Amino acid sequence: MSNKPVNHARAAEHFLEDAPHLQFHDERLWDMRQKRDGQMHMLPEWQDLREEASRIKEHTLSRLPEYLEQFEENAKKNGIHVHWARDGAEHNRIVGEILKAHNARNLIKSKSMVTEECDMRPYLEKQGVTVTETDLGERIQQLDDQLPSHIVVPAVHKLTSDVAKIFAKDYHTDPNIRDPHLLAEAQRQAARPVILHADAGMTGGNFVVAETGTFVVCTNEGNADLSATVPNLHIATIGIERLVPRMADLGVFIRLLSRSALGSPITQYTTHFRGPQKGGEMHVVLVDNGRSARLGMEDFWTSLKCIRCGACMNTCPVYRRSGGLSYGAVYSGPIGAIIDPTFNERKYSTLPYASTLNGSCTNVCPVKINIHEQLYKWRRVLVQHHEMPFVKREIMHMAGKLMGQPKMYRAAIKMTEVSLGSMPRFVLYNWLNPWGKHRENPHPVKQTFNDWYRKNREKAKPAAASETKK
Amino acid sequence: MSAARDEILQALRNNRPTPENHPLPPVRTLGDLDASRERFIASLKILGGDVLEPVEGETLDQAIMRRHPDAKVICSNVPEAKGTLPVEKVKTPQDAATIDVTVVRAPFGIAEMGSIFLSESQLPINSFAHLGQHIVVVLSPDSITANMHTAYQERPEFKSANYGVLMSGPSATADIQGVLIRGAQGVRSLSVWFA
Amino acid sequence: MKIGLFIPCYIDAFYPEAGIATLELLEKLGQDVEYPLDQTCCGQPMGNSGCNSDAAAAEALFVRNFAKYDKIVMPSGSCTHHVRDNFDAIPQTDEVRHVRENTYELVEFLHDILKVDAFPWAEFNHTVGLHNSCGTLRALRTASMSELGEKPFSKPMDLLSKVKGIRFVTPKRPDECCGFGGTFSVTEEAVSAKMGVDKVRDHYQAGADYIVSADSSCVMHQQGCAERAGVPIRFIHIAQILNGAAE
Repeated sequence: MSNKPVNHARAAEHFLEDAPHLQFHDERLWDMRQKRDGQMHMLPEWQDLREEASRIKEHTLSRLPEYLEQFEENAKKNGIHVHWARDGAEHNRIVGEILKAHNARNLIKSKSMVTEECDMRPYLEKQGVTVTETDLGERIQQLDDQLPSHIVVPAVHKLTSDVAKIFAKDYHTDPNIRDPHLLAEAQRQAARPVILHADAGMTGGNFVVAETGTFVVCTNEGNADLSATVPNLHIATIGIERLVPRMADLGVFIRLLSRSALGSPITQYTTHFRGPQKGGEMHVVLVDNGRSARLGMEDFWTSLKCIRCGACMNTCPVYRRSGGLSYGAVYSGPIGAIIDPTFNERKYSTLPYASTLNGSCTNVCPVKINIHEQLYKWRRVLVQHHEMPFVKREIMHMAGKLMGQPKMYRAAIKMTEVSLGSMPRFVLYNWLNPWGKHRENPHPVKQTFNDWYRKNREKAKPAAASETKK
Repeated sequence: MSAARDEILQALRNNRPTPENHPLPPVRTLGDLDASRERFIASLKILGGDVLEPVEGETLDQAIMRRHPDAKVICSNVPEAKGTLPVEKVKTPQDAATIDVTVVRAPFGIAEMGSIFLSESQLPINSFAHLGQHIVVVLSPDSITANMHTAYQERPEFKSANYGVLMSGPSATADIQGVLIRGAQGVRSLSVWFA
Repeated sequence: MKIGLFIPCYIDAFYPEAGIATLELLEKLGQDVEYPLDQTCCGQPMGNSGCNSDAAAAEALFVRNFAKYDKIVMPSGSCTHHVRDNFDAIPQTDEVRHVRENTYELVEFLHDILKVDAFPWAEFNHTVGLHNSCGTLRALRTASMSELGEKPFSKPMDLLSKVKGIRFVTPKRPDECCGFGGTFSVTEEAVSAKMGVDKVRDHYQAGADYIVSADSSCVMHQQGCAERAGVPIRFIHIAQILNGAAE
């Protein structure tokens, strides 16, 4: 995997060039945000729910080892095989071995961000396993060989015509179909035989209940239920942070999840798995992959509260205008920008800057993660770790020095083109140049406020900063 | 394998925030506690489900035929309906794929969401709820609980079932250009028959 | 009460009329205001970029300039947010704490401290759309935020409502960030400009002649976007309207 920093700005620029896609993307996600607001307004207890959710998650994270052990004990009692994976490679190996032991060649799976994290599909395919995504959006992305661009609506950056083209290639449907119903039906017809002949099914897990050894999967299509109930082998890949202590805690989270995500009261399917079905076998793979380390990051551990609703993406004005793929990471949008650097600081060093720090993400987060404050803090960390581009770092350094010297600062303001200290003019010019690409420059004025004040307020006497000291 | 387990748990122990600073909040019951059939129906309709109302003393079988006139294979797991395919014929998960309409009884519903609950106790085989084209759910109006809080606190099924699904209307997707489509991968329609 | 007036760099250099209006308005309201001449910047650009240590010189100078005042007032939400919430590149002495605790954005100062109930000199016969910067909205909380569903309130609107002749329109996405974001406007130029254009169009389509804001940094960006895209809308700082500007 390349270590080169993701060029979010350039990818975003590319995304912005395509007006129809851009407009749909922005409006669709904004509509989801509006629907989410509608649900919030219907529940006077909304802020109480957020507070409860946040406190339950913070409590659970502070006792994660105990709750994981409790879950494991209960799950095993119910006949679930529990596995532990330190990282993606270990996860993939475990899943590969389970499949091999069952001679399973055809795997159907529902959406799981953790398997994306682990880059599992290519691994299994190399082992001769055919992996078929059953979520419609995820399947579109699989056929198009792209990462999901959004954690809830993976193909939200595509129009019907794009899907028609992709399906034409793989499902031999008419590439000119413009009715999404026909395309969805094509997916249903194509998926059914695959589901019926699958050797194994795989799901993620939205929540894990320690007290009962249950894990919960939420979908709208019912594809997780198909994946888990048709084949007799069910493997669930779950991040270790997904726990809640009690069954009753689900009341809080299920009430928040889909309302925050899509603005619908609940997902069409909310499924509780507590043990294998009659004649079946069930495995849970608990995946760390950087989570235990993240728990130790004082400013960033609360990002582990995330329930993957995507509300921060929907509300993010930058995300809506740059698209999920521009983040070049499994997790995109505001939550991605604070999680991704924990996987690879250099590669994702640009993402905390793909934000105006406007704070809307924090306000919509159902578990009250202070996302925009973490973005701010990540910038500090990245600069401390020398992950800021040299020119920008130098400019900030020079600017900072200049701002401490009022006389030099005044002199610089007086020049029509501000040149900061010893910074070569062309470097500065090149760095600031983008301002004018799609925007006019501010208009020059006859006199600055400072000049005006000196002229118009007699009591103002030129004074050195030291003289105004208390 | 156990090395991974120990390593992860140890790392979590080393890195976690101070547990004493994060007490577990008591379980709360928030929100509207209306457990009426009317609220259930309104919620069900929002999620694309429907109520199958009997017309002039119809039986459930007749109502199903009226609702799904093209259905050839109707398989019922409730005494209220006979169907066309004896449920004993559904032995493997794949057997459910030929069914046009499945009929089941839900032990309870949730008014807030219009959800009905199904588990292995109500299904001859778990895929029964998903592979058929349509589902008709028999529900007693007395078994509606108010909201998610009351459901999780009051219903023992959540703790006893190996497989328990809350279905809230039929399968749906909006993954293609935001257009809402009912009947994506699972059932195309979900109707509730009160009895 | 002695007030120290801070005029942010972009107001000083590009929107001096907003600074003048702020000073005149405070004087009209009977306040004893001084503008320390040797001021530069609050340190925000460095702080927001993550180069916090580089904000130290600006922050130290800011404290030297303003520690002697009872209150520090500035016509900028984002600078106030920096001083109040992120001003930690220098040791937190009593002086620094005094400055941080007594720094106010103009609208909150007029609304919460002076509790001004009339601007008899002010008349503005135009239709305006109010732009709350994200700093004033989500950090200083001078207005209710749409994401929280809280009871609607707006300090800038409370003040503007006391101006004769003024009419208001509400854009479709009133809380959406305009895309300035400091260095974001340069490093993420394309997204920033698109956000700006969308923002000014939203106000224009709602029927606004003017976009009024308590933050000139947002305005500088929006004005540049409007001019390039040919959106015929004008911009004005809230201080100018409250001080009696006619246009």
